[in-house]
Amino acid sequence: MTERTGVFICECGPNIKDAMDVPELVRYASHLPGVVVAMPHSLLCSDDGKGMIERVVREQELTGVVVAACSPKEHEKTFRAVLTDAGVNPFMLQIANIREQCAWVTGDFDEATRKAKRIISAAVERVEHHEPLTATEIDCQADVLVVGAGVAGMSAALTLAQKGRRVFVVEKDSWIGGMTVRYEDVFPGLECATCMLEPMMDELLHHDRIEVLTGSEVVQVLGTRGNYTARVVTRARSVDLDSCIGCGVCVEACPAKQPDPQVAGMGERSAMHVPFAGVLPNVPAIDRDICLRTSGSDCEVCATSCPFGSVVLDQEDTEREFEVGAVVVATGFESFDATVAVQYGLGEVSDVRSAEEFERMLSSNGPTGGKVVLESGEEPDTIALIHCVGSRSAEFNDYCSGVCCSYMLKFAHLIRKQLPDARILDIFADHSLPGTRGEHLLTPLQADERVEFLRMKGPGCVGVEASDGGAEVTYVSAAGTVEKRQCDMVVLAPGMEGPRDAADLAQMLEIAPPNEATGFFESVHSRLAPVSTTSEGVYVAGAARGPCDIEAAVAQGQAAAGKVLSGLVPGERLTLEATVAAIEGERCSSCGMCISVCPFSAIQHDDEAGHSVVEETLCRGCGTCAATCPSGAATARHFNDAQVYAEIRGVLR
Amino acid sequence: MTERFEPKVVGFLCNWCSYEGADAAGRAHMPCPSNFTPIRVMCSGRIDPQFVLDAFAEGADGVLLLGCHPGDCHYKDGNHSAMRRNVLLKKVLAQFGIEEERIRLDWVSASEGERYSRIVTEMVEAVRTLGPREGYAAEMSVTEDGVGADETTAAEPSFDESVTHADSEAAKERGESLGAAGTR
Repeated sequence: MTERTGVFICECGPNIKDAMDVPELVRYASHLPGVVVAMPHSLLCSDDGKGMIERVVREQELTGVVVAACSPKEHEKTFRAVLTDAGVNPFMLQIANIREQCAWVTGDFDEATRKAKRIISAAVERVEHHEPLTATEIDCQADVLVVGAGVAGMSAALTLAQKGRRVFVVEKDSWIGGMTVRYEDVFPGLECATCMLEPMMDELLHHDRIEVLTGSEVVQVLGTRGNYTARVVTRARSVDLDSCIGCGVCVEACPAKQPDPQVAGMGERSAMHVPFAGVLPNVPAIDRDICLRTSGSDCEVCATSCPFGSVVLDQEDTEREFEVGAVVVATGFESFDATVAVQYGLGEVSDVRSAEEFERMLSSNGPTGGKVVLESGEEPDTIALIHCVGSRSAEFNDYCSGVCCSYMLKFAHLIRKQLPDARILDIFADHSLPGTRGEHLLTPLQADERVEFLRMKGPGCVGVEASDGGAEVTYVSAAGTVEKRQCDMVVLAPGMEGPRDAADLAQMLEIAPPNEATGFFESVHSRLAPVSTTSEGVYVAGAARGPCDIEAAVAQGQAAAGKVLSGLVPGERLTLEATVAAIEGERCSSCGMCISVCPFSAIQHDDEAGHSVVEETLCRGCGTCAATCPSGAATARHFNDAQVYAEIRGVLR
Repeated sequence: MTERFEPKVVGFLCNWCSYEGADAAGRAHMPCPSNFTPIRVMCSGRIDPQFVLDAFAEGADGVLLLGCHPGDCHYKDGNHSAMRRNVLLKKVLAQFGIEEERIRLDWVSASEGERYSRIVTEMVEAVRTLGPREGYAAEMSVTEDGVGADETTAAEPSFDESVTHADSEAAKERGESLGAAGTR
């Protein structure tokens, strides 16, 4: 054995010294195999203590160091730095935690001494098996890809661009603004959403360092943290974004019409269209599903009507590649499809509206110009607001989206403003109105004689059927009685679900798949790393990672930007973890068990080499692969089998 | 007066929750039995069942595995791997006559110093009640073959060789002896 181990025992003032027999520990340690020097110090983390270690390491030409002191959580980094200063690899250190896990929890002096001996013995055994490790450094890109141009994505992009980063924003829709841009007023203060968003959208579209690709989708992402190559396909819009001034002549001229999907049964939309006035970029796009040319016609009405020659009918889809160092996923949410829960009558009973439709009905740029009207064109007398549609239910979504109660009460306020005499039935199970201003939505309505709060026994205890006068709502009251109420309009509050394409995107980005039950992307830690995913370099913000309101989506967008800014610094190389896993090719039988257990998708099978390999940029060093590998090919560096076995042996000596 | 049995209990603690929880118990000076000695691993998912077998072979009377609470794993779901393995591990240990109570998998968060202190105390007391492992201890050893009942290997558990897996010849040997064990 050529190992030369030094053991340094800290008295930690009286903390360790008074709890156990330190001179006895020094004597004991000095006789352990491989130990050439053992010495105490009153406070090793002091400059004097650190200086002593550095000096002894040099003088004694130590190859391994055991510091018996406080928890490694306190000073492992400190003492690793001392080793580096002494010219020894920092990973040749082992901390014996004789303070937190011995001195402070053991009342008896002799017992504490015996336990400390076991801990020190284990550390001495272990350190003999330590290997010098070096953290790998890689070059990286500082540019960022943001997927989704809703409030979360826009916030991330603007925060990044403000710090000089170049940002590519890819938006599936032909326009930006996400869901928020479709709303008239937003809770809790009933502020105008467009007024709030317009400056943000304008800045995004005109920022020197931001390129927005609307009508575009990410189709492939290769590479890992620091170095991704993203392939983005932009659908042919058939209108030139640069020369179009958004006059709308082509939209009016287009002969291909279909019902406007914003509010079922209200208005028409042409193939050449903008979804509503004021969207940005203010440039129409062709809906190929209904364009007459798709069905063989040689219609060119849009092109001939355009005074600027901006309609390009033969435009083709384009594909581009972007080199980026990080990706922010902000693809938003989908609403629960209330037609699935047939009891609510959506799509069957007239004047039953989803919240999304009702938002468009309330919007001044919507198909009704902001007027709340029935399909007959008349004003409703009684409107029922039904909460928790598909939410908090065993059958559909078992969670609360946390925003529906607020927007339903917002609806009540906006209805009241427009229809002073309308009766409003708020059919709820519980009101979830968090935040300092949540209750402010409720209190004024409780004083309104024409607003009735009807409490259901539980979420989903309600159904809607057509009746002579409009719709009949039947619900089980909190008291357990079956109640029936007549109304002429029903608004449903479906909860939020994960974005539909989340699974594909997760696979492309090699992050953990979205939650099976909810469809939302998963954070690596919901509390301590809420916008981080299982892959460093990929962040998720806004409603794509779970139900949230605008405020939270913006905060998360900015948080994701912050993570990128601190993790990827232009001109600096990325330092990877030194304590990652490794797979010894010769031993690997290609069984794939490591691949299946790796929480970070950091292991792949290299078909050419014929064995699995660890992608060090993704590995976080948990060691689950090493514990799983049946052929001993996978190793967890710094926690390898030899090291742990040595520690076990030392503990039980 | 009969002497009280002092069992040797080894713990494998994940770095992020349980080890922090153990430190928290220390900071709050909550008593923990001195017969219990913790070993830090990065994740409960790192706890190879052979570590547990090895601890028993080295003379442990009980082994405690502690990880982050399900859903809180620092590595997403490493603790789920630990959970799955534990079911099988208990069955394997039963084959050696090692009582179920000698191994325990539980969860301690970084803030649960009190819970840590309680679990460790419970574990040591449970093992103390069971008494020392007798009869089968000598038959059991862990070599690179995993668990063998061969008396020569039991007498000489050659760890340095067994755990470094130094060369492919050793691997071949291991394969053969594993095969032999399988036919037994």
